[in-house]
Amino acid sequence: MARLELSGLSKTYGAVTTVRDVSLDVPDGEFLVLLGPSGCGKTTTLRMVAGFVDPSAGRVTLGGEDITHRPPWRRNTGMVFQNYALFPHMSVAENVAFGLEMRKVPKPEREQRALAALGLVRLSQYAARLPRQLSGGQQQRVALARALAIRPDVLLLDEPLSNLDAKLREEVRVEIRQLQKQLGLTAVMVTHDQEEALTMADRLVVMAEGAIRQVGSQQDLYERPADRFVAGFVGRSTFLQGRVAEPGVFQTEGGLRLACDPAARSGPAVMAVRPEAIHLHPGAEDNSLSGTVEFTSYLGPVLELHVRLSPTERVVLHMPNRGGTPAAGLGESVTIGWPRAAGMVFSEAA
Amino acid sequence: MSLGTQGHGTAAGLVTPATIFVVLTLLVPLALLFRYSLNAFVPGQFMVDALTLENYVKFFTDPFYTAVLWRTFRIALLVTVICLFVGFPLAYVLARTRSRYKNLLLIGVVLPLFVGNAVRAAGWMVAFGAKGVVNASLMGLGVIATPLDIMFTETAVIIGITAVNLPFMVLSLQSVIEGIDRSVEEAAFNLGAPPWRMIGRVLVPLAAPGIVAGCILTFILGMNAYATPVLIGGPRFQTMGPLVYGQFVEQNNWPFGGAIAFILMTATLLLTMASSLLLRRRRVAD
Repeated sequence: MARLELSGLSKTYGAVTTVRDVSLDVPDGEFLVLLGPSGCGKTTTLRMVAGFVDPSAGRVTLGGEDITHRPPWRRNTGMVFQNYALFPHMSVAENVAFGLEMRKVPKPEREQRALAALGLVRLSQYAARLPRQLSGGQQQRVALARALAIRPDVLLLDEPLSNLDAKLREEVRVEIRQLQKQLGLTAVMVTHDQEEALTMADRLVVMAEGAIRQVGSQQDLYERPADRFVAGFVGRSTFLQGRVAEPGVFQTEGGLRLACDPAARSGPAVMAVRPEAIHLHPGAEDNSLSGTVEFTSYLGPVLELHVRLSPTERVVLHMPNRGGTPAAGLGESVTIGWPRAAGMVFSEAA
Repeated sequence: MSLGTQGHGTAAGLVTPATIFVVLTLLVPLALLFRYSLNAFVPGQFMVDALTLENYVKFFTDPFYTAVLWRTFRIALLVTVICLFVGFPLAYVLARTRSRYKNLLLIGVVLPLFVGNAVRAAGWMVAFGAKGVVNASLMGLGVIATPLDIMFTETAVIIGITAVNLPFMVLSLQSVIEGIDRSVEEAAFNLGAPPWRMIGRVLVPLAAPGIVAGCILTFILGMNAYATPVLIGGPRFQTMGPLVYGQFVEQNNWPFGGAIAFILMTATLLLTMASSLLLRRRRVAD
C-alpha cells in the first residue's frame, strides 16, 4: 500500500479542458471518493492515475515514485471497472491469476494466491466457472479479487456498483469497504451516487466542470458546503435567490426578510436551507414565515411538504413521521421557520 | 405480425424461393458435372458414357497437374496469412476509432471491390508491365538495363489476390473486434500486460471467431481465384481455376474438366474443415 499524490493534474483535449488543476493527497490506507455529476472530470482523473489517460500537466506520485508518464502495465494499480471487464474466455481462477501470470509468479504460487484472493470475496467454489456463469454481483466480486490478487499500491474503483441492482449494490459496497479496511488499502473510487459516496468514504472530493469544489468529510460537505453547487449536489436544499441587504439580514427576491449569519458578505447571494432544518412550529429565535401547503408526499420516516411563501418562492421541508394524522394537509395555511444558522448564504457577487 | 410466430407454413414459404434457386443453379449442375467426371473422353468423339476413375487417376499421376494443385494451395495459403497480418491492425483501428470519418474509412477498405478484376489488371499492366511506367522510369534513369519482371510472376499473382481478398478479411475481423469490450483490454494493461501480451492472451483469443471466418473466406477465394491469375499471371501461369475453364472451353474435355473441378472443390473443403477443426481443438485445449 502506498500514498498517492496528485499535483496540478490537468487534461486538455484540443480546446476542451476536462480536468483542471487537480491536487490531492491520499494518505496510506485512506478510502477517497471522487463525487460529481457525469462529465465533471472524475473518471478522467482516475484514468490518469491508472495510466489510461496521459496528463497534459501535473504529476502523479505513488509511494513516492513519479508515475505520471509510466504506461499502465508498469504501475502497480488495481482497477475495478463499471462493467466488470472480466476476460470472458478465461475461468474465474485464470482471471484472478492473470496479473500474477504477467508478473511471472510461478504457477503453483499463482494458483494458491488466486484462490486466496477468491476466498477474500467468498467465491472459491466458483474458481472453475466462466464469468458468464456468474451473477453480476459475483462477477464484480471476481473483478475485485482480480485487482486485489496483484497486491496493488492503490485500488481504483470506477463506478463499481452502477451496473448492479439495489440489493446487490448494498452487498458489494459492504464487501469492498470491509476488504479495503482489513487489508489497509489505499483506494480511490469514482461515483455519481451521493449515497454510495457518503456511506463508503473516509474523505470525499466533490468535482464539477473538471475542478475540485470541496474536499472534506461527510459532515463537512453536508453541514458546511463550500458553495451553492455542493449544497445542491450533496443532500437536498431549497435555494432562495436574493441579497444580503445589511449585516445579518437576507432579503429574498420575493420580498421575504430572513435572519442570516452576520458575517455574510453584503450583495447578491443565495440562501440554501436543508429540508429537515425547517420546522412547522418555529421557536421564538427562528425565522418565522407563513405559507400554504401546496404538495405533500409520504416518504416513510419523514413527510415531505412543499410550502409556498410568496408568489415566486416555495420551500421543501421534511418533518419526522410520528404516525397518526398529518400535522398539515393540502391547502392548509401554516407557519414555518428555521434557525438563523440553518440558512447557508453563498455570495454571488462577481 | 411477426414472421417467426406464423408456424411452418410461413417459414416454408420464406425458404422455398432461395432453396429452388440454389438447387437449380448449383446442386443440379454440380451433380451433372460429377457424373460427367466419371465419363471417358475420346478425342474426336467428345464424351463417351462410362463409369471410370480414369480422369482422377490422370490428374494425380501427372506431375504437371499436381504441381498446379500445389501452387494453387501455396498461393491461397500465403494470401490468407498476408491478409491476416496486414488486415488485423487495420481492422483493429477501424473497430476502435471514434472518428466521425469511420464510415468513410470503411468505404475505403471496400473500395478495391468496386474495381473489377479486369480493370485492376489493366491498371497493373500500365504500371508494372515490361513497358509500364515503373520499368520505363527506372530504365530511363539508368537504374536498370533490362525491364524487371514484375507482371506474370507468382509474386504478382499473390499481391493481386491479396488486394482482392483483404477487404473480406478486414470486414470479418472488424465486426468481431468491435464486439470486444475496450475495458477488457484496459483490464489486461492494468494487470501488468504489455501490449503484445494483451494481444496474445486477450485480443486474439476473443477475436478468434472473426479470425477463423476471415481466413476461411480468404482461403476459399484464393483457391478458386480465376481472373487475377489469368490477367496478372499471364497465359503460361496455371492455377486450378483457369485449368478447369481451359479443359472445358479450349480442350472440350468435359470429363477431365469435371474431375479437376471436383478435386478443387474437395481440396478446398477438406483443407477448410481441417483448419477450423484444428483451431477449435486448440481453443478448447487452452
